[in-house]
Amino acid sequence: MVPPSHIHITPGDDAPIYRQIVRQVIAGVASGDLAPGERLPSLRALAKALVVAPLTVKKAYEVLESDGLIETKQGQGTFIRIDAAKSKQKASERLHSTLRRLVIEAEVAGIEPHELQTLIQQATQALQTERRTKGDRA
Amino acid sequence: MSILELNGILRSYERGIPVLENVDLSIEAGEVVGLLGENGAGKTTLIKIALGLLHPQEGTVRLFGKDPTVHPVATKRRVGYVSENQVLPPQLRIIDVLAMHRELFSSWDEAVELDLLDRFEFTGRERIGKLSKGQARRVAVICAITHRPELLLLDEPAGGFDPAARREFLEVALQFLANEGSAILFSSHQMNDVERIASRICMLRRGQKIIDQSLDSLQESAILVTAGGGTTAHLQSMRDIQGCLSARLSNGELRSVIMGSRLEVDQRLTSAIRENEPRLSAISLEELFIELVEGRP
Repeated sequence: MVPPSHIHITPGDDAPIYRQIVRQVIAGVASGDLAPGERLPSLRALAKALVVAPLTVKKAYEVLESDGLIETKQGQGTFIRIDAAKSKQKASERLHSTLRRLVIEAEVAGIEPHELQTLIQQATQALQTERRTKGDRA
Repeated sequence: MSILELNGILRSYERGIPVLENVDLSIEAGEVVGLLGENGAGKTTLIKIALGLLHPQEGTVRLFGKDPTVHPVATKRRVGYVSENQVLPPQLRIIDVLAMHRELFSSWDEAVELDLLDRFEFTGRERIGKLSKGQARRVAVICAITHRPELLLLDEPAGGFDPAARREFLEVALQFLANEGSAILFSSHQMNDVERIASRICMLRRGQKIIDQSLDSLQESAILVTAGGGTTAHLQSMRDIQGCLSARLSNGELRSVIMGSRLEVDQRLTSAIRENEPRLSAISLEELFIELVEGRP
């Protein structure tokens, strides 16, 4: 089971706490830190570990579930879906609103579309480098 | 039925100077409402009115469907309260104070009492008068929650707590919430604590309620707009924008909080403000609080 210590929250951040939990689980799946089929802590256990209201964790899990990243099995717990990383359809839907925000923010800040593309490429490369160094260590 | 229902509350201590003006607030089971506002905004008065310790001059109060000033015993039995300056008899020992409460409340839960004494590292034989401010607060917390109230009213509960004690207090409050059907209304200046446990935010400004919405939607829909070269004309046009909660000039910079999605807010900005290259950004709860206090109309 994923220890709750894999998930950290920062009160005082611009993003609501439930959103921070959602982002970290998505990032965990993307980086491979959270393997498909892995069990997530129960609502109560994670709420207790993070010292946040159980409702906040519930909301995060609901968002992740409707995004198709996790599934709750009656009586067994909550798991990273086997097809989580592959669920392209859901992922594109999810990305759409994120990208929209990104594009608007770039527009407002006066960043040109081609500059935004460069930024995305840079971020992708940074992630790949990060993964390689992690792989080397392991 | 709501746990607490306040309608059109007006209260002033001096004639013509209302401390609360036309305030509505309702709390349902399971909710944790963070009551925010600068000092003097009316938070303590609101909590005392909810509890029936103060009469409003106008408006109605319903606590579990009853007027708490008409049914003080029946309503107070179901409420726990920690006031800002709790005074417990200094000559008594902790166990004496707890024994008094046990007599008053038939629902007193001794298992909770023992658990909390242990958690706060009290033997129970300590004299109240010898306790530090933070320790006395902990005793007040034990008194407020051991009878398993359905509504917990906390006025600056973590005042005088160091960070470790605040964390401990939050854990106790979250444990209390595990009782189904209970709710909490708490005032606090510790925005990080508010973010951890509140489901809803109610903010008072000079006796009026200016925000009442879920914490998540508040954080996701409050946009900070900043622009250089602000003038008082810019300030005014900012205030006229739909959804504007605050606007101020700070060292020549225009700062304003507007509710809406980024796209909506961007579209509402006037051409005069656009000329000053406005930046739109998300805002933390603490920054939001400061903007609303400093940027009042």
